[in-house]
Amino acid sequence: MGAVERILEREFVPADDDGVVVCRCEEITKGEIRRAVHDGIFTMTEMRRYLRAGMGLCQGQTCAKNVKALMARELGVPPLELEHATARSPMRPVEMYVLANEEVAD
Amino acid sequence: MKRYDLIVVGAGPAGLSAAIEGAKRGLKTVIFDENEKPGGQLFKQIHKFFGSKEHRAKIRGFKIGEELLAEAAGLGVEVVLNAAVIGLYQEKEVVVRIGEAVRHYKGDAVIVATGATENAVYFEGWDLPGVIGAGAAQTMMNLHGVRPGEKVLMLGAGNVGLVVSFQLLQAGCEVVAVADAASAVGGYGVHAAKVARTGVSFYLSHTIIKAEGGDRVNAVTIAEVDERFQFIPGTEKRFEVDTVCLAVGLSPMCQLLKMAGCRVLEIPAKGGQVPLVGTRGETSADGIFAAGDVSGIEEASSAMIEGRIAGIAAAEYLGYAVNAELEAAIAENEAALSELRQGMFAPGRRGDMVEFTDEGIHVSVSLLKKGYVNDEEIARFTSASETPGFRPIIECTQNIPCNPCRDVCPRNCIKVESITALPRLNEYNACSGCGLCVASCPGQAIFLVNGDVGGGFANVTLPYEFLPLPKEGDRGVALGRDGQVVCEAWVSKAQISSAFDKTNLLTIKVPAEMAGKARFFKSKGAV
Repeated sequence: MGAVERILEREFVPADDDGVVVCRCEEITKGEIRRAVHDGIFTMTEMRRYLRAGMGLCQGQTCAKNVKALMARELGVPPLELEHATARSPMRPVEMYVLANEEVAD
Repeated sequence: MKRYDLIVVGAGPAGLSAAIEGAKRGLKTVIFDENEKPGGQLFKQIHKFFGSKEHRAKIRGFKIGEELLAEAAGLGVEVVLNAAVIGLYQEKEVVVRIGEAVRHYKGDAVIVATGATENAVYFEGWDLPGVIGAGAAQTMMNLHGVRPGEKVLMLGAGNVGLVVSFQLLQAGCEVVAVADAASAVGGYGVHAAKVARTGVSFYLSHTIIKAEGGDRVNAVTIAEVDERFQFIPGTEKRFEVDTVCLAVGLSPMCQLLKMAGCRVLEIPAKGGQVPLVGTRGETSADGIFAAGDVSGIEEASSAMIEGRIAGIAAAEYLGYAVNAELEAAIAENEAALSELRQGMFAPGRRGDMVEFTDEGIHVSVSLLKKGYVNDEEIARFTSASETPGFRPIIECTQNIPCNPCRDVCPRNCIKVESITALPRLNEYNACSGCGLCVASCPGQAIFLVNGDVGGGFANVTLPYEFLPLPKEGDRGVALGRDGQVVCEAWVSKAQISSAFDKTNLLTIKVPAEMAGKARFFKSKGAV
């Protein structure tokens, strides 16, 4: 039985520290992340889309490692088995008006 | 689109070194850095560096930064600040946010030297204001002249945690404790020892349970953990603090390389995701190189050498240099790099428990558990004489690549055979008591002892990097390696000299039998 089947079979078990914030920028708690895994979120990229964990100002620079470790533990797999989220531009938060002010031509 | 021969991302030690080597060989070079000041972490490094002359040992980090910047400017390297590289696309197109615009550049070669980011740990209350990264504390103190708080708990006894703890003390903060979940101090023992001797307690196998506070942190509780890192109930210790510093490791920032299509591997020993690089810093993508912490967490000294190698390699890639000359330069740099990667803290030995030094001396367990070598263990390494005349007492107990003490002694009293060997005294040469070794030891581990100055007293000369500098005649107490008061002490001399580069020398008079114990001084008023 793969990790996917196993996690879908297991019930979410609440923990005392589920209220601790893990992603500060988007204020996502440990409990929300653990619960999301039971909802069927198995990759970092999915997690970003589902809860926005790692999608805030720091772009996951602070929390990505912790979110990954938490997901891996919940899935019952080694953290190395989880892939990091895709790296994509803009690497740093950029205001829309700056993005719109793009100088391309010579 | 503006074109450069070489675009370097990041103006830290690796990026500046890379740009210098590229520009030296005629490459039109630009460096983009997202910060308002160049230098990366170098300008926060106010301590003296380890290594040998070739690695700029005993020079303070920010001085090295100034030298690199001047050298880069002299070679015509353009350094663009407040310039965040937000994308690295096909054909080495570099997209940069500069001010309120997004600009595109093309580099024939690109060197990514983006460094690393601080790791975080989460616990109840970690999101309170006042819980900050150790690097953030360093930025506040050393770049902006702002003290982060009054009472600080440091989580992390690696080199970053230890160095920043010392700097917090220098800034006038009280460091209530250094805690680490690991069972042994991970950083250099000498860094731990200079913090411990001021009276800071170390709690190994401890981590934070929670931080408390309303609009900011006002207390923190730590507890002991077992081998499986589970809290042991009943071992909680609570400290009132206004600041908690986290120094729990660094992660390479390799997102740009990943975006550019370079092959990236996850290697926990290197700090996380790192690009696959060859010996010259070349990635799997043609013409894209990586140097410094982005390709694996190490020290600034090795980042500079990696940067140099990558800069030379980029020049070679673009056909700007003769192959044989380049091979020689690369070999020379690689030799210096391999020197830095020797000893107990070598990258390949990370995490190993070392029991004996290369000399076969049993290592200090107290140093690993409490941050200081205890009185019994120190006898394995040095012994204080009780005879008249100066003698250096070298409390350097781990094999780290460092030898300024040998080079600085005008009378060749100190021998360091291989770069990682423990320094030994050359018994035939008489110490003049000049104090250069005391001031130049980056680990502040050398003391001069004159075992008999008459009346049953001895003089101990110690490195002192705190303000105000006590004055001749001041009374106070001497503290032992463990930071506990050992006896009364009187300042017999306070020396400031440009040759000491701001490591002032304080000579204290103590009862002769305490000469082997007294290693720090506190003025009466401060006790």
